[in-house]
Formats: sequence, C-alpha cells, structure tokens
Amino acid sequence: MTAPPLHDEPGPAEAETAPETAPETPVARGSDPFSGYQPLPDTYDEFFDASGRPHPSLASAIEPLREIGRPEFRRLQRLASSNFLRGGVTFSVYATGQGDPDRIFPFDLIPRIVLRSEWESVERGLVQRVAALNAFLRDVYGDQRILHEGRVPRDMVESSSGFRPAMRGIQPPGGVYIHVAGIDLVRDSDGRFLILEDNVRTPSGVSYVLENRVMMRRVLPEFGAGRVASVEDYPTRLYEAMEAVAPTRHGEPHAVVLTPGPLNSAYFEHGFLARRMGCDLVRGSDLFVEGDRVYARTTRGPRRVDVIYRRIDDDFLDPEFLRPDSVIGVPGLLRAYAAGNVALVNGVGNGVADDKAIYPYVPEMIRFYLGEEPILGQVHTYICERDDDRRYVLENLEKLVVKAVGEAGGYGMLVGPRASRRQIASFREQIAAAPRNYIAQPLVELSTVPTWTRSGVEARRVDLRPYVVTGDRSWVMPGGLTRVALVKGSYVVNSSQGGGSKDTWVLEDEA
Amino acid sequence: MISRVAEGCFWLTRYLERTETLARLLDVHHALHIDTGVPIQNRWRMLLEFTGREDDFAERYGEDAHCDGELVQEFLTWDEEHPASLYGSLRGARENARTVRETMSLEAWKAINDLWLWLKGPDSRRLYQRERGAFYERVTRSAYLFHGVSFGTMLHDEPFTFMKLGRALERAGSTARILRAHAALNGHEASDAEAAASCLAVLRCCCAYDPFFLSGMHPLGMRTVIRFLLFDHTLPRSVIYNLDEGRRLLFLLCQHDPIGLPRRSRSVLERLRGGLMQMDVRDVEQQGLKKTLAWTIEATDHLCDAIHDDFLAAPTPWLRHCVRALALTEGSLENRGWAA
Repeated sequence: MTAPPLHDEPGPAEAETAPETAPETPVARGSDPFSGYQPLPDTYDEFFDASGRPHPSLASAIEPLREIGRPEFRRLQRLASSNFLRGGVTFSVYATGQGDPDRIFPFDLIPRIVLRSEWESVERGLVQRVAALNAFLRDVYGDQRILHEGRVPRDMVESSSGFRPAMRGIQPPGGVYIHVAGIDLVRDSDGRFLILEDNVRTPSGVSYVLENRVMMRRVLPEFGAGRVASVEDYPTRLYEAMEAVAPTRHGEPHAVVLTPGPLNSAYFEHGFLARRMGCDLVRGSDLFVEGDRVYARTTRGPRRVDVIYRRIDDDFLDPEFLRPDSVIGVPGLLRAYAAGNVALVNGVGNGVADDKAIYPYVPEMIRFYLGEEPILGQVHTYICERDDDRRYVLENLEKLVVKAVGEAGGYGMLVGPRASRRQIASFREQIAAAPRNYIAQPLVELSTVPTWTRSGVEARRVDLRPYVVTGDRSWVMPGGLTRVALVKGSYVVNSSQGGGSKDTWVLEDEA
Repeated sequence: MISRVAEGCFWLTRYLERTETLARLLDVHHALHIDTGVPIQNRWRMLLEFTGREDDFAERYGEDAHCDGELVQEFLTWDEEHPASLYGSLRGARENARTVRETMSLEAWKAINDLWLWLKGPDSRRLYQRERGAFYERVTRSAYLFHGVSFGTMLHDEPFTFMKLGRALERAGSTARILRAHAALNGHEASDAEAAASCLAVLRCCCAYDPFFLSGMHPLGMRTVIRFLLFDHTLPRSVIYNLDEGRRLLFLLCQHDPIGLPRRSRSVLERLRGGLMQMDVRDVEQQGLKKTLAWTIEATDHLCDAIHDDFLAAPTPWLRHCVRALALTEGSLENRGWAA
C-alpha cells in the first residue's frame, strides 16, 4: 500500500513545532513498524498476545498500520502536531511561566481499539454507576437514608471537602446532579475493565476525543473505514441534556457555557463545546443576578439565562456563597439556583460523590439504590482514615499506590513500587498527619497499546475516560479519551505528567 | 450577542487593521527611492508620528535616531513591549481572536493564527533580514486573506458585523492620521518634487495609488489627494466611505432593538458624517487641514467610545434598571427579545 493522500500541505508552522525526533535509523519505507514489538511482562497488551501475535479479533484492523513505514509515520505525526497548533487545539500552561503558553496535547497516531462486544457491558456498567452516584447525591442532600442506615459512614461524607451542607434541601431541576461524568477506567492484567476513579464535578478532555478523530480521518483517512463508532454526537447530546433540565416556561431555553477565561488550561475545550452547541461562551463578568434570576449582558441589553454548563469549580461559582475573593464567579448565582430559576450543569456539591475515599462505597450504593449488583469491578481501596487500613498501608507503602483524595491531574500521588525511599518516608508522615486525605490501592498493571516513541513502536500504558451525559436519560459516548503514559515504564497518564492521547475506536465486530 | 464577545470581535479587526496599515506604511517608506526627493530625516519621522511614538522613540534612542531607518523599522516592527508595534498589534488581534474563537469559522481562525505563528517563529525574522519588502507584503496579504476568508466562511450576522464595524472605524481613523502625519512634515517650504513624492506616498499608504488615477482625479497635488482620501464615496479607505459603512452597519445592529433602547453612537456618527458631507476641499483649506483632521480624528475616537457604551460595555446599573422595568410588564416584553 502507498501512503494515504494528504489533503493539506504542511503548515508554515510545521518546521518550528515538529517534535524533535531521535536520529533516524535507516529503515526501509514500508517496513513493519511492529516488528520486534515486545509486550510488557504480566501486563495485558491490547494489540498483541505474549508471543507477539495480534489478538485474532483485531488482526484485520491492525494490518493496514503495518504497511506504513517509520519515515511516513513520522511525517504524518508531524503533520498532525502542526494541524493541532494551527487549529488552536491547545491547552494552556501559564503557571510554569516559561516558553509558549499554548501547548498541544501530544497525539499518538496508533489508535486504541475496543470491540463493540466488549464495549456493551462497559456501557451498561457506566450508566448503572452514574445512576447510583446521582441517587447518592440526591439522598445526601435530601433525606440521607443511606447515612441513617449506616451503609455509608456519616463522618466520611461530612468530612469530605466536596460536601456542601448548604445545598441540603435544594432540589436541582429534574433531580439531576451529574449531567456530565468522566469515569476513568483501566484494564487489568487479564484485560478486564475496572473503574479507577469517578469524575463528576467538571471533567474535561472530551474536545480532544472529537479533535483526535478529526485528525485521524485527516491523516489516515483509509483506516477503520465504516466500522468505527462515531463520537461526533457528543455536543448534541450535551445540548439535549441541558434543554431537558432547563427550568423554562418560555420558548427555547437560553443555555450558556461558563468559563473561568482564556488563562484556564481547558479554555480551548470551553470554546469548542460552546461553538458546537451554538451556545454563548460567557465569563462570570458577563452574567449578573437580579431578583434571583440570571441575566447575560448582551449588545441588546439584559437577556435571561436558563441553563449554565459551568466549567468553574463550586468554590469559585458565587463569591456570596463560598470564596468571597472569587473574581471569576457570579454574585448571587446560587440564590438563583436555590430558587430554581437556573439549572447548573453539573450540580453543586458533586465533589462528595467523587471523593476518592467515598469511591469504595459505590458498589454498596448500587446495591442500596438500584437493587443491582455492580456490572463493572473496581480497585480494592484502603481508606487511611480507618485504623486497620492505615496500619496495613503504612506497613506496605512500597507495594501500594497512594492518592490524595482531593487532588486531580496526577498530583499528590505515590507509586510505591517506583518511588524512592525518601518519597515513601514523606508520604508516611503526611498520611499519619492527615489520614482522611489519603487512600491507597494495590498497583494495577495498566494495559498497554503500541505507541510511537523515539525508538520506534513500544508498549505504553493507557487508561480510558468515557463520558456519560444525562438529561432525561443517560447516554455513553462510544469510546472516550484514551490517555497514554508516554514515558517509558510510567503508570501516570495525565497530560501534566508527560501523558499523551490516542484516538479511541469502538469497533464493530467482524460478522 | 454577549457584549464582551462583541467587543472582542470589534477589537480583533481594529488590531488587525493596525497591523496591516503599519506593514503597508513601513513597506511604502522602505521603498521610497532617492529620486522621490523626500528628505531622509522626514521619511521615517512620519511613521513615528503616525503611531504616536515619536517621544517614546526619542527617549529610548536619542533625538536624532529617527534618521536611522533600520532602527525605526526594528522599533515599529518588532517591539514586543508596545501594543502599537506590528508585533504588538498582531498579538492584540490574535488574543482577541482567541477569546472570540467560538464565533469564528475554523478557516478565519487559521488565517489569523497562521500569521501569528509565523511572525513568532524564526522564518519571519529570516525573511525580514533578507527581503524586507516581501516580509511586509506577507503581513498585508495575510490580513487581506483574513478579510476574504471571514467574508466567505462566517455567518454574516452580529459577530461579523462587529468585525466589519471595527475595521471601518479603524480605517477612517488611520486614513485621517496618515494625512495628518504627512501634513505635519510637509510645510510650506517643501519643493514641488517633495510635495509630489509625498502625495504619492500618501496614496500608496492608503491603497489609493491606482484608484486615484482611475477615478480621473487630477492634477496630482495635495488638494486632490485630500479630496480623494476624505470625501470619495467609492474609495474603500477614504474617511467618508468608512463612515458610510459604519452607518450602514450600525443600522443593521440596531434593526431588532427593543423600543426605547438608547443608541447614542448613531447620533454621534450622524454628526461626524454630516459635518464632513457639508464640507468640500476649499472649506478644509480655509479652516486649515490640521484642524479638520484633528476634529475628524477626535470625533472618530468619540464614536468608538459611544459604541462601547451602547453595545460593548453597558453599565450594570442601567442593565439592572432594564430588568426591573421588565419585571413590571413581564411576558409582554419577553417575546420581544429583551429577556427571552
């Protein structure tokens, strides 16, 4: 096969933005990039078995990739980077104060593939989990049955940094708290999907899923033809969910996306979603509250706002409510929310549901609220607040992964088997000082997918963040954001820690 | 549309227009040959005068440094600190574009982002050193590309109208400023050759060289040039053309206004435009070109302020007042666009 046709000349920015590649080893054009590929020991590789043969169900999907030689792959990879930069598909890193603030999220051209037959149970499992988490929030901010019955300990809930007691008794429109969930999944050494983490506050990353697909179609238009599930529906589904929860009695609801502004690292995504949904992208200063109703400042005077997809954390949402120093929020917003005059997507106080120390109780929630057994497994978790668990954790730090319950983005994390003695000692002190802030889990050997590196195609670990959108019913995006740890041997996939991403294919099984 | 976003659209094209105008001015003055007779010291001073940065420059490089063409070009092109340099104004355009990206087409965004990425990268500097004219031309052409691409790929609705409005008012102002800067440096003692060269340079700065001769304006002289650049209704960079355009755009923007919404900008524009329409070139000469231009420039700035108050940053107490007024008659007004 020859290289796919290019629809575009490389942009003028290419020369300066192309990632440095290692000195090229002379490899003939068309040579199989997977030759010599080695799966990691005791780890599930999603393309190849231990002997290096492709999994039979994926063989035909992988085949075309073999025919692109290394130089061609490098060229396409550069083309993709240049296109992301030109299109402004970037995340901003202003905090570091050096270099260009706009970076692209490294993109790997080898897709991650999940078969439709495997995906179906994942999909059901996610819908079930989100339903239980939503019921939990309704309960915790309502009658608190689950606490009265002792199925989830009251002190774990009340000590959670995401718990907002002031929200008790306030029913969000339609009873929906979790309109958008990003549930992180991993595959263990047997290839089973496990829930690693719930994100039900303001999960980000979905724009990269859509942009990665656009890029994939552009640089490798011939692959996966017709068998890959489309992801393009997402903005429509999100808009429908927003419409469904709008507390509106007059015509078409006015929905907006609320962003902290262009300095936020996910600003591209906020604009992207606003554009695709045909909504206004607003900042706090574009809105004001009068008579417990929210209005936007427009070129024709005030305009009523009914639904806000907010990408601002609870704490900063309303300076009257939590952080008086917040300049990105809207004074009075939560009064309007409490009065039922505006829907917030996601709800306020969701942090208690994705607290890492509440996570171990989610299977119990599924049984309690839904009367079902959990469809998806999760990772065993030690809660450092509990005496027995803490004792075990402190004695076995070098075997465990420790996570701070309130942190995200791969910060505040100890990977015991790969940590230095000093790091372990430091975590030991921190855990002893504030046990509620930590949980620990055994290290999961995250599955791997072949990935381009400076020294050819190698096995790199991945996770998966599918997105679940809920209005009057739940919808799961097929696939999701696959993040890949580009650093050799690393288990940490976060973009802030050297992670990249891949296009994720939910592939129809062959007949 | 959201006022802040409208403001971003308005300023995006104003900054881009500044970038383009400055690039053209630098190109024209760089290419003024010996035989045009413009004294070398005036050639570059005019540019500093135009950007209002004479003092700034003198302070940094000394009183006589304005004779050093390389230095002036470097200063006006690359100064990263100042928003009036070519680099600074393109950054302003691109920053505004980033904050209104959701209203733009991908093609329009790329047109401006590509130019910015290029200017920021090493290729632009190389071209600047090797082939100055080509460097400036690349900038002006990219701006034309943006105008064409946005016209061809964006919805012709409010955001685009604000972009056009920003561009029209910026053009009106910069044509007046170009005339003023030349007038300031070509006093009565200028020789005929100098005056002719200066006229041609002014025309080139306003993309009006060919149009001037095509329009049958003659003889070439300051009087005909002023008449052309101030009063010609068909020249896209004349002052009056852009006020006509501004008037049309303001009409479009106010078309669906609820009754009673005050729009000061429309009357400010009518006064400015009406004032110019009543004049002809003899009146200008009578009251002095400098005075007329100063009045035009000031009135244009004033118009931009009025647009700001009307559309882009209405004061909060006034907005709250609107809401309260609305509450009294809720329902009847909700359907008329006030608070739907």
